[in-house]
Amino acid sequence: MTMLRKIRHELNTMPKFVYITAALTVFGLSIALYRMFVGLGATTNLSKEFPWGIWISFDLATVALSGGAFTLAALVYVFQFEDLHPATRPTVLAGLLGYSSVMVILLFDLGRWDRFYNVFLHPNVSSALLEVSWCITAYTLILVYELSPVLLQNSRLKWLLPIIKKYTVPIVIAGVTLSTMHQSSLGTMFIIMSPRLHPLWSSMLLPVFFLISSFASGISLVVAGSSVSHWLFGRSLKIKTMAKLSWFIPWILAFYLVIKFGELVIAGEWDLLFSSGNYSLLFWAEIIFGVLIPIGMFAFRQVRFSRTASLIGALFIMGGTVLNRFDVTWFSIASVNGEVYTPHWMEIAILVGVAAGVVTVYSLIARYFPVYEETEPHQLPVEVRPFENSHAAGD
Amino acid sequence: MTHQPNNPRYGFLIDASYCIDCRSCMVACSVENNVPMDSTRIWIKETGITGTYPDLKRFTAPFHCMHCKDPSCVSACTVSALTRNDDGIVSYNQDICIGCRYCVYACPFGVPNYQWDEPLPLVIKCDMCFARLGEGQQPACAATCPTGAIQFGRYEDMLAEAHRKINERPDKYVQHIYGEEENGGTATLYISPVPFEELGFPIAGTTSPAYSNRLVTEGTPMVAGAMLVGLTGVYLTIKHLREEAERDRVEAAKEKAAQSAGEEQ
Amino acid sequence: MSIDLSRREFIQLGAATAGALAVGQLLPLMVVQAAQEAGMLNTSGDGTIPSMCEMCVWRCGLLAKVRDGRVVKLDGNPDHPHSRGHLCVRGQSGLFNTYDPDRVLHPLIRVGRRGEGRFRRVSWDEALDYTAERMLEIKQTYGPEAMVFSSTHNLSQVQFENLLYAYGSPNYGTQRSLCFNAMIVANLMTYGIEEPERIYDDQLQYIILTGRNLMEAVSTSETGDLSAAIARGAHVVYLDPRFTKTAAKATEWLPIKPGTDLAFHLALLNVIIGEDLYDHAFVTSYTVGFEQLAQEVAAYTPEWAAAITEIDADRIRRIAREFAAAAPHALAHNGWRTSNFINSFQTQRAITILNALIGNWNVTLRAGGGEASGALGTIPQPAYPRSSAQRLDHVPSRFPVVPLKLGVFQELRDSILSGEPYQAHGWFIARQNPVMSLPDRARTLQAFEKMDFIVTVDILVNDTAWFSDVILPEASYLERYDPLNVVGDRAYLRQPVIEPQGEARSALWIYKQLGERLGLGDYFQYTDEQDYINQQLAPLGVSLEDIRSQGYVDLPPSEAGGFEWNTPSGRIELFSDTLARVGFSGVPVWEPPPEPPQGEFYLLTGKVAQSTQFGTQNNQMLHKYADEPRLWLNEGVAADRGLVDGDWVEVSSEVGVGHIRLLVTPAIRPDCVYLTPGFGHLSRGLTTAFGLGASDSALHVTYTDPVSGSQALSQTFVTVRKV
Repeated sequence: MTMLRKIRHELNTMPKFVYITAALTVFGLSIALYRMFVGLGATTNLSKEFPWGIWISFDLATVALSGGAFTLAALVYVFQFEDLHPATRPTVLAGLLGYSSVMVILLFDLGRWDRFYNVFLHPNVSSALLEVSWCITAYTLILVYELSPVLLQNSRLKWLLPIIKKYTVPIVIAGVTLSTMHQSSLGTMFIIMSPRLHPLWSSMLLPVFFLISSFASGISLVVAGSSVSHWLFGRSLKIKTMAKLSWFIPWILAFYLVIKFGELVIAGEWDLLFSSGNYSLLFWAEIIFGVLIPIGMFAFRQVRFSRTASLIGALFIMGGTVLNRFDVTWFSIASVNGEVYTPHWMEIAILVGVAAGVVTVYSLIARYFPVYEETEPHQLPVEVRPFENSHAAGD
Repeated sequence: MTHQPNNPRYGFLIDASYCIDCRSCMVACSVENNVPMDSTRIWIKETGITGTYPDLKRFTAPFHCMHCKDPSCVSACTVSALTRNDDGIVSYNQDICIGCRYCVYACPFGVPNYQWDEPLPLVIKCDMCFARLGEGQQPACAATCPTGAIQFGRYEDMLAEAHRKINERPDKYVQHIYGEEENGGTATLYISPVPFEELGFPIAGTTSPAYSNRLVTEGTPMVAGAMLVGLTGVYLTIKHLREEAERDRVEAAKEKAAQSAGEEQ
Repeated sequence: MSIDLSRREFIQLGAATAGALAVGQLLPLMVVQAAQEAGMLNTSGDGTIPSMCEMCVWRCGLLAKVRDGRVVKLDGNPDHPHSRGHLCVRGQSGLFNTYDPDRVLHPLIRVGRRGEGRFRRVSWDEALDYTAERMLEIKQTYGPEAMVFSSTHNLSQVQFENLLYAYGSPNYGTQRSLCFNAMIVANLMTYGIEEPERIYDDQLQYIILTGRNLMEAVSTSETGDLSAAIARGAHVVYLDPRFTKTAAKATEWLPIKPGTDLAFHLALLNVIIGEDLYDHAFVTSYTVGFEQLAQEVAAYTPEWAAAITEIDADRIRRIAREFAAAAPHALAHNGWRTSNFINSFQTQRAITILNALIGNWNVTLRAGGGEASGALGTIPQPAYPRSSAQRLDHVPSRFPVVPLKLGVFQELRDSILSGEPYQAHGWFIARQNPVMSLPDRARTLQAFEKMDFIVTVDILVNDTAWFSDVILPEASYLERYDPLNVVGDRAYLRQPVIEPQGEARSALWIYKQLGERLGLGDYFQYTDEQDYINQQLAPLGVSLEDIRSQGYVDLPPSEAGGFEWNTPSGRIELFSDTLARVGFSGVPVWEPPPEPPQGEFYLLTGKVAQSTQFGTQNNQMLHKYADEPRLWLNEGVAADRGLVDGDWVEVSSEVGVGHIRLLVTPAIRPDCVYLTPGFGHLSRGLTTAFGLGASDSALHVTYTDPVSGSQALSQTFVTVRKV
């Protein structure tokens, strides 16, 4: 009876939004089940001209955003910036859930999901998608490893913790390597389709572009996540720590700007920047919102030391990255017959369901496991308004 | 890393001026290869009816896999379900395919068809009827075409014949053999009385993107190895430096403590 | 057990049609056994068997690839002159006919009303006994002439005729008057042969096609020949109110006004004679009636023709000159249905004469081998009873120059309806779909209502079978023997490549079985199909087993064609005394065609490569690749009427109505519409075809040429309105 009462108690005290996200998850997953039964034709707007759609765009965007996990892990364990350590747990959790959602969506996207294991049994080493699949799988396992202390800390298996900690560094190094490989390979995937991509995005440097932008978007996710968890859970990084992290952003973005525009100049595609109609608009939107504005913002100390301003700056970068991934995988793809792809409502429903699932699982794990143990507690109640003096909480 | 794809053993020469859009090739192919009713391995590309009445024209040509020398689909296929054999035939193993549709995206000619309405779908693609080749027969489409629009034979012969035909009749044919260089060269060659764009043929570059793809993907293990070594090196170096700095700090503190203790004495 | 064919289902191909043993079959696996003994199939039942296609009248030789008792692929037989190793789109789809889930595989007797689709499955004995009983009843009560027999020409026709003549009925309906009576009678009048053979060689320079859409009405070898001629640079002039696929390949497409091809050809004759471009030596040596011809055509100038045909006078004149200049390597192609007008007979006369004037005999035209060859054996039978009754199709009474074997089928149908000069009571139909093929479908169905008894032999429950009282299931062409077919200097074999499915049997067997029950067993002196063929082969000293694996037998070479013709004068008759004596013009003469009233259109018909008449719309493989049936309308006319491609329209004539989607196109004259032929099936037993398209025969008004008995389908005028 106490078990039941415990469960009832938990359900009563659960924040209401978790019910909403859980319901959305169930809804999305049932649509996904339907898709498994009737096939892609009835449940998506995919076609011969557009065999990949919003799911792939989502996957690439999510992987880019989840780049925070490996960037942070590199900074903390390889470059040994110890004061960034408190952010690792939430970031790894977010990363793990992000990568899991990518794998779940991929499973729904595969035509022959019943044979997904063939990826491991029949590899084609020339295929960028093969590389992405293996790296993502391996890296997800590594993320589980990195998160395991959180999950096992208060359980009967806590005797494993010293062993886990002992091998953390080599595992992290492997993880960073794998991440670098798949973040860039996601770009490599589109090299073979270069005839179909608009020249503003089509490039042999796509792997490099994707990798660099994953550093920036990864760090942005940490920054943004910190601000958000500050308001939702009352925990976050020290503002000084966050500022140290966001200090890297303008440099990374500037480098990205130089190689991106440099490549266009060398390829003789400079004129396309202004003459490609809607494509030019999309490209400039990416650059202005995702690169130029954030460079301008994070160059200022005041921004870096403000939770709110940092959040806004981070959101710009994340938005720019998402737009970039959507541009490469969807908006810049030309169609031979002028066909246009817009997602079927079921495609979006499944995405919403999966995203809601991520939020649900994140919330539940953050509630029952010491995810924020090492972060700074917030002394005021959680319902603080976002624009309160952010120095109030022991920074 | 930069393997030179060999010339195919067999080739098609498809002459659009002979095609009458009777679709014998399509039925023959479907019957021969048990192609599902909802899909096709071969179809007709056409100019539509052009001109103003009564000066009308219409041209058609059957279209199937180009059997590229350096196929994008083979390079892209995650699980090696698409492979090119020594004879240059690009074929599909329907037992391995996981339905990622990378091939559908990668093919610059829009060849692979997909069974969108099947719960367990497959890619539908011409495989040069290699089973028939093994029995000494031509592919079903070429064997049955009533006007001989689809010719089949040794690749060199088909290429030579294509050159001969367009040279002999510059008034009749566009002076270009589609497939001779497109996507790095293909085993399926076309000649036509009208520009290929009018028939709806995609404009493809003269090199196969598979080459660039391989450059990057085959360089990856090297990069990975370098990173592992590099990151380990960075880690160890920083650790060493920090430990040294820590030892120095401890030493300095000890000295300072010893000094002050010594001073107090 | 009652079978309800009125349910509409789509059944996946291959269900329950694995060539299994049928109940009641006497000897199992005879086909496989024979093929194995001849070395065509191995012990697993795999191999290749030569036979002949039946998807159209061209009857290409094929090689059937058999695997484990199933035919899996058909390829053209390189040893057959009609295929030369290729098969057209319909030939390639042939096994989908054989394995069509809608195949009728057991004898059926109707239980519901006619057209309800309710039948009872019965044994062959019961079906044949019942049929014979009813046929004898009709014979005894009303006389044998009260039984009508009709069949579209096919390889077992000789035994169909045997049954008909033995039974004693004069009433024989074939499809010929719906197709090419005009062409055949014109050739008979001019050359004394039904259809000369065309010779496509490297020197053929100039071809005039009047209709005969060879790139869509594909006859494999001839389509290939025409294509090769075009590729070599031959000049092809193609007359058609539609821009068909042949028009797209022709050197010149003339969008001629319907029914005026006659004026065009008369003008060609005018120029060739008037400008002295004809072959004098040939005309003098081999023709009669030149003076009368010259006199008649003197008035048919290109200027006169231009106003009628809407083709420039200069163009007509140029074509005439070019045609004559290319002589004798020029060909005016007879085609088949010509322009589907009453004056098509005169057009055909003009075409045959055009060839004669430039002397292309034995250059681009020659006497064909014919379908019967004297070298083969015939099955003996006693003399036929004499029939004193008049034929219901008024041949020869109203159609004095129409051969009996051609007949005038639509007249036959109309006489059934009128009951004059006597009422017919029974109808035996084999391999034919008169409900769909005769013009004015409503009338045909009314004629059916007059019948006491209708029996149909078919492989599917086609529309005619749907309305019949008894359906006798024939084995498809891949499942049966037929009498040998002579092409050139060879007799080709049709042999089964798989065991007949269900209880389907060959026509040879059906006719004999029926004949015996009718007391006419003496007329069917063969024990079975194999015996029949052996009797045919006997004079050649070989047996069926000898020729099985090759698929044909060589015949003694026929003599090279000379310069004799089977006409009364022994010459080519530019003026036909035969025609004159019965009151028709002896030379081709202008007959103005009717024109549609303001706001109405000529209803054109034509051919589609992916179908044959009314029998293939149920073939799933052809259905997969054929265009959706539509009504073609000129794009300018559509724009004026506010009609858009894809609109649903109602097309109606004075006898019928149809609903169909519009195809707005530049490829048709503004005064014409074209309805994809062959659709609008009534039989729910055709689960793929039922519900598709609209029926052209429901719209066609019955018009008949008084000379040749040929139908005039395009003289039907229609209105079109959006629904």
